Amino acid sequence: MKRPKLRIISIFLVSLLIVTSSGLVFGGWYLRRLEETVAAKFDGQKWRFPSKIYSDSHLLYVGINLRFQELSEKLRRLGYHESQSPPKARGEYRLQPSRGLLEIYLHDFSYPAEPFKGFPVRFSLQGTTITRIENSTTGEELFSLELEPELITGLYERVWEERRVVSLAEVPPLIVKAILAVEDERFYQHHGIDPVSIVRATWVNLRSGGVVQGGSTLTQQLMKNFFLSDERKFSRKMKEAIMALIAERKYTKDQILENYLNEIYLGQRGSQGIFGIWEASQFYFSKPLSELTVGEVALLAGLVRAPNRLSPYRSPDAATKRRNVVLAKLLDDKVITRKQYESAMRESLPRRELIKVTNDAPYYVDYLRRELAENYSNDVLTAEGLRIFTSMDLLLQKMAERSLAEGLKKLEASYPALRRQGEEDNLEGAIIVLRPQTGEIKAMVGGRSYQKSQFNRVFQAKRQPGSIFKPFVYLAALMSGGEGGKKFTPATMVEDSPFKWNYDGQEWEPGNYNDEYFGTVTFRRALEKSLNSATARIARDVGIKRVRDIAHRLGVQSSLPAVPSLALGAAEVTPLEVAVAFSTLANNGVRTRPLAVKQVVDSDGGAREKRDVRVEKVLTPQIAFIMNHLLKGVFDRGTADAARRWGFTRPAAGKTGTTNDYKDAWFVGYTPDLLAVVWVGFDNKAKLGLSGAQAALPIWTEFMKLATAGTPITDFAPPPGIKIVEIDPLSGQLATPNCSYVLREAFLEGDEPTTTCPLHPGTPLQASKFD
Amino acid sequence: MKTNSFTGWPFRILAIAWIIGAMQGCAPLPRYRASLPSTSPPASSAKVSPDAPPSPVQEPPRTPLPQEAKIKEQDLKARSPITPPAAKETTKPPIVTPEANTAPLPDDSSLLAKITPGTSPQRAASLRLTEEGRKLLEVGDAPKALSRLEKTIVIDSTNPYGYFYLAKTHYRLGRYKESLSFLEVAESRLSGEPFWLAEVHALRGENFRALGMVDKAEASYAQALRLNSGNRTANDALGRLQGQSQAISR
Repeated sequence: MKRPKLRIISIFLVSLLIVTSSGLVFGGWYLRRLEETVAAKFDGQKWRFPSKIYSDSHLLYVGINLRFQELSEKLRRLGYHESQSPPKARGEYRLQPSRGLLEIYLHDFSYPAEPFKGFPVRFSLQGTTITRIENSTTGEELFSLELEPELITGLYERVWEERRVVSLAEVPPLIVKAILAVEDERFYQHHGIDPVSIVRATWVNLRSGGVVQGGSTLTQQLMKNFFLSDERKFSRKMKEAIMALIAERKYTKDQILENYLNEIYLGQRGSQGIFGIWEASQFYFSKPLSELTVGEVALLAGLVRAPNRLSPYRSPDAATKRRNVVLAKLLDDKVITRKQYESAMRESLPRRELIKVTNDAPYYVDYLRRELAENYSNDVLTAEGLRIFTSMDLLLQKMAERSLAEGLKKLEASYPALRRQGEEDNLEGAIIVLRPQTGEIKAMVGGRSYQKSQFNRVFQAKRQPGSIFKPFVYLAALMSGGEGGKKFTPATMVEDSPFKWNYDGQEWEPGNYNDEYFGTVTFRRALEKSLNSATARIARDVGIKRVRDIAHRLGVQSSLPAVPSLALGAAEVTPLEVAVAFSTLANNGVRTRPLAVKQVVDSDGGAREKRDVRVEKVLTPQIAFIMNHLLKGVFDRGTADAARRWGFTRPAAGKTGTTNDYKDAWFVGYTPDLLAVVWVGFDNKAKLGLSGAQAALPIWTEFMKLATAGTPITDFAPPPGIKIVEIDPLSGQLATPNCSYVLREAFLEGDEPTTTCPLHPGTPLQASKFD
Repeated sequence: MKTNSFTGWPFRILAIAWIIGAMQGCAPLPRYRASLPSTSPPASSAKVSPDAPPSPVQEPPRTPLPQEAKIKEQDLKARSPITPPAAKETTKPPIVTPEANTAPLPDDSSLLAKITPGTSPQRAASLRLTEEGRKLLEVGDAPKALSRLEKTIVIDSTNPYGYFYLAKTHYRLGRYKESLSFLEVAESRLSGEPFWLAEVHALRGENFRALGMVDKAEASYAQALRLNSGNRTANDALGRLQGQSQAISR
């Protein structure tokens, strides 16, 4: 009997031994693993820093007109708060047009290589015009001022954590004391877990019948934020406690505290989470930590418990209550004096416009990503906290998006045949907006809805340009005389009738729209009315290779076949290429490279990359001026004259584009300061059935009316060597008082007509020379 | 008029300047120097005081150039951007300089002086920013100068001085081809301003010299002097080239 008993006991003991030793081995292994995890986090890269994309800054100067509504919107987007009294803190502004006054207390902003310290500034206004700018504090007169760039979006992997890491030495002791007072007052006494706190929390929770107080130490909170979820599970709490003990054993209190102050979540701005006390100080008070008042410190410390519920922006009452609790605790602990306490209790809460940072320009951002991908990996872009400064003007971007969306909707309403059932076949469009002088891409809308299609038609869609290509023919013709070819001037008479162009053993017969021909017309008339036959004749006389070369010289990069139909746009180009080529004309013959990314700065403020404005003179200013002068006629008398009826009245040059099969509708138009290209069509190249004037011009006009409203009216200035004479457009000769229609035409000096109009004989009208 | 003597032309320029100065009742040498910029940086910081008085165009300090083999652009970029690049060694015929047959033009380098009550707000703002950029360039902060100057042409694309100083900034940064491109634009926008056209040609000469194109450099300097015999950049550069040429011939 004894033997089985002994046997059972021995089996039990052996089993116990095995279980215990296994437990010890497993426990040891598990602890070791947790220790490695903690060490990896503490000693390795703790956080990923998303790169941030900024718009261009906005320059204000004496003499500029302000558009109050748009300025207010911009200030709100930048986080400024309108005040009824003179701005006293960074981020406040007061606009009183009736008193001719605008006051802004500017934010700090770290421009590349040029940190800017915000100060209060006062603008005197006369109507909408700035007449004087001065520093309100010093009275110093200023002549120009930049409003900081707007944050467009961040480049991040899963969650956008906005954070700037600070060392413990950079944190004022009051902040540390305040946070410890309300979150873990025995921080320097415990070893990661605090039995006193646990017992107290348990007692409070038992009395209240629910979980109202936590007993977690600051170290436990850090472990939870670093590694664990928010689940209220015993296993999670156990793991958290073990990790806290490990962290306390391996690292100093100061190291743990520093990590905590940088890790804590303290608020939300749209998709952007505010993490760490430095970022919170900027978000709530627009100031560095060292400048926070006692009340602000208390508010910040109070936020740790529930950043959204206690946010001064969302719940001022709850935030005030919580701040006062913290202040009382600081007074009790003798961290602050009664005088400080009373003063802090009187402080008003910060106010700020809570603008959600969402990606407002997804197509543009995609283009930027593509450009950035040439030099930066996705890992670098999403983890290293780069700041990317771009050419984008967020106001123009929004105007372009609105104009395109509404324009396409109107087209569908006016032409029901354009409505499609399937989402994939929807009517599509694109807009690109350039500053011709610099090549800066101010706005880009690559399609109707980014959610439905991420295909960016501005630079990915190669489409036939149709008549939009014709100006290259006319440009080649104007230059032909100087290069030993046939000489053309704007008054040269051109035949517009059916003809056949034989080349390489083939025959090509260009036809006019509706088979309507005009006989003999001036060079200008042929361009303004976009006459196919006359244009093809000019191209034949000039040589199609020369036309192709001109297009390339102006900035078209796509391969262009040197065949006669190229003259009418039988090639494929992107809207971006069209914009670059025409901006060369707008910029008096100077080609610029398209510029989207302007500067990339690393998290320490060091310049990673600077992309400068690049220029190349590819045409004489005289030839460019004559082309612009001709293309102005497209608005005044030609295929884009509807833009005038729709209210776009300022000097501008442009060209409509319609492909032969009516699959693509284009319009490119520009003032000396702004150029926009609009394309409308279907991705599957279905027939649109509308001309550029019908489909693209209304969108362009709507956009340009918005974009140029209130800006100075500028015209294309004639360079030296240009002579303007009055001619009769019927004969192309000098106009006489008997001519019923007279046109002021620009010529290269010496090329102007010298004989009077044979159709209406008389003495010539006055001629003027611009030099 | 061509000349084969290289010792005489600076004296002829000075002589003409002396005569003109004497005719106007002042000593020519100080007058000539007065039109030249100070080589010491301004006392103020890089941030421009908005109502600072106009100051003349300033050239980088010059040092005698060593003779060396043909220079490549990328080699030059590696050097200090302020250091003027050396000319290519050459054994070609002596340099032909233009006859200094014009008096030095009055100093027209002040940009703020161009702001008058009739100046458009855009041009005025653009000129002020150009002046800021110029001052930043003067104190050797080319990157900041570049960002200021790029704004000048955004505000007023017809401001030729913005393009000129952009060209100068690129030159300082060792980007000679970019500098030449901006000079072309500046030139096309400057008309009836011989003082500034001379500046353009002189800076073009500097770029060509940096690129090792000595013939083109000489032609540009000569053109600058034809427009303004008092152009210091062209005078100094031709003097240096002449010195090198003489050293080689000895």
